[in-house]
Amino acid sequence: MFRKISSVFILCLFLLSIPAYSADLTVGRIVDKANKVAYYEGNDGMAEVNMEITDSQGRKRIRELTILRRDVQDGGEQKFYVYFYKPEDVRDMVYMVWKHLGKDDDRWLYLPALDLVRRIASSDKRSSFVGSHFVYEDVSGRGIDEDTHELTGEENGCYKIKNVPKNKDNVEFSYYYIWIRKDNFMPVKAEYYDSQGKKYRVIEALKVENIQGYPTITEMKASDLNTGGSTVITYNKIQYDINLDDNIFTERFLRRPPLKWIKRK
Amino acid sequence: MRKIILFLIVGILFSSPCSKAVILGKDLPAIHGFWEADYGYRIGRDTTKRDDYNLLEQRLQLKSRYYPKSFLADWNSEFFFRGDWTVDEYFSGKTDFDVREMNFSFTPNDFMDVKLGRQILTWGTGDYLFINDMFPKDYVSFFAGRDDEYLKQPSDAVKFSFYPKIASIDFVVISRFEPNTHAEGDRLSFFDSFQQGIAGTNSDRDLLEPPHQMSNSEYALRIYRNLGRNEAALYYFHGFDKSPRSYKNELARQLYYERVDIYGASIRGPFFSGIGNAEAGYVNSRDDHNGSNRLIENSMFKALVGYSKDLGNDLRVGFQYYYEQKLDYDNYRNNLLPTDYFWDQYRHLVTNRITKLFKNQTVMLSLFTFYSPSDRDGYFRPSISYDVTDHLKAILGANVPWGNDEITEFGQMKKNKNVYMRVRYSF
Repeated sequence: MFRKISSVFILCLFLLSIPAYSADLTVGRIVDKANKVAYYEGNDGMAEVNMEITDSQGRKRIRELTILRRDVQDGGEQKFYVYFYKPEDVRDMVYMVWKHLGKDDDRWLYLPALDLVRRIASSDKRSSFVGSHFVYEDVSGRGIDEDTHELTGEENGCYKIKNVPKNKDNVEFSYYYIWIRKDNFMPVKAEYYDSQGKKYRVIEALKVENIQGYPTITEMKASDLNTGGSTVITYNKIQYDINLDDNIFTERFLRRPPLKWIKRK
Repeated sequence: MRKIILFLIVGILFSSPCSKAVILGKDLPAIHGFWEADYGYRIGRDTTKRDDYNLLEQRLQLKSRYYPKSFLADWNSEFFFRGDWTVDEYFSGKTDFDVREMNFSFTPNDFMDVKLGRQILTWGTGDYLFINDMFPKDYVSFFAGRDDEYLKQPSDAVKFSFYPKIASIDFVVISRFEPNTHAEGDRLSFFDSFQQGIAGTNSDRDLLEPPHQMSNSEYALRIYRNLGRNEAALYYFHGFDKSPRSYKNELARQLYYERVDIYGASIRGPFFSGIGNAEAGYVNSRDDHNGSNRLIENSMFKALVGYSKDLGNDLRVGFQYYYEQKLDYDNYRNNLLPTDYFWDQYRHLVTNRITKLFKNQTVMLSLFTFYSPSDRDGYFRPSISYDVTDHLKAILGANVPWGNDEITEFGQMKKNKNVYMRVRYSF
């Protein structure tokens, strides 16, 4: 269970996107802009997250959580506070992440029944995010320096970019394509291929809405083509620039959630 | 059987989405919790027991919170309740009601929190090992195979937390002494020096708790802050040993909880692409300052170091080394009588935790191992759990303490080996 929660991360990263200029750009600029659009917008934000995990036999499991996010520096470090409502056996647990660049993140888990603040070692970013078909990196972002990027064409108003990992040892894919919208640099689809060149995994934006002036992905889906399982994430009650206090992301608020933001039921 | 059915009905009632509103009305607080059945079958040979089970119970846990209005709302105040109703078939269907938490928290200003009432308290960096966490624990639950949450017992306390810039401070006042729950011979057998061996129901020793007096209040202090990416803490505890390790009156078979002061420190942070931690504590046995009283526990030094790592593919491992030393050992040894049982000066303990998840993290395989080369004993805690649905979880596990001697921490538990199964429905 700890591990289940431990891979939780930052879904609201996909939430925002800033309109950008369409011009002749190098692939490096496109990837860099898309990374910023997908993972660094606003100073902070919150969302209620609902995940529906469907396994290969069609059985469904639900995850429900609230995420608070605060950027320490735009394009740099970020802090996340994740409060669980479902499933019931993890209700009221809190997961906190201080995301760093170029080194492992700091992660904590608070278990209320034991009043225990546990520090979590998490170096595998390709493991499942709360038992879903999203992996940690899908939602927290994959370092753009970890792949080589090649612009292979344009489709439906998107740049199509092929990404090959520089180090194949710690990833399960051999390469992946990503589609980035030309008008606002929002990444809207990714397809992963194995070493035989077979497509086995797809992530796609299902719904985009305008929230506080930001086009925002409010529904997205990850599909495992090998097993037939999939996960749909829906974001509700999204708010940006809510002036979250930096103190919220400390042990004090792990043990005693900020009631202003976390409506415990 | 009727009780089981009743529990089931109540559990199902509370679990259906519309039931809360129907039963309680719309504005009343939501209720959550679980129903659980626990069965533990003893596999160790123990002639002191007639029953083969040592865990045989059902429980219903309910929790709820309420946010008061008026000025208390400005203080972010919250009432919280969590309690267990149990039917213990092991004790012939005895019913019990155990308030796990019942407290009121509030934030009178930005730099202070207060939590008043019955609460679970935990701090320190060890994994199943405690040096500076002197809050009560239930080792009967631990060895019988109940859920981990039952290792921690509630304290009736007030916790004041202060948050000045330089460091955070927790100060806990415990007015009513609450000892650890240890094996007493009925459910679990243990080493009883009065019985000169492992005792079951024949144990008749008397454990004397300190009387409820103002001067017997316990105080626990923690001062902590981040140092870079590390979390550092200092601890102080003033109170009583939580285990009855000292003799009051040998003829009357009376044991008691000697006074202790504990001074400690810990640090935890990233270490070789995992998490490292270290903690130490000096225990001053105040009733026996120079250690010359053979009946009272010696002053001690305790330390542990730990390391845990994520190996990828939902596989995690953790290791700990724990060290314990009696500080006035010569005085203790010199005053022993020839017939006394005596304890070693040093204790070394290593632990390992290994956890692996399968099937979209719905299946968890876990093994926790204690091994003490100095005591020549150990304890295996394997388990496998399966989340059948989002609500229903089944766990199969075992408790396998072993040891060469009957007197050591795990060796004395060796007759309590069991295999257990738990089924929990959460709502």
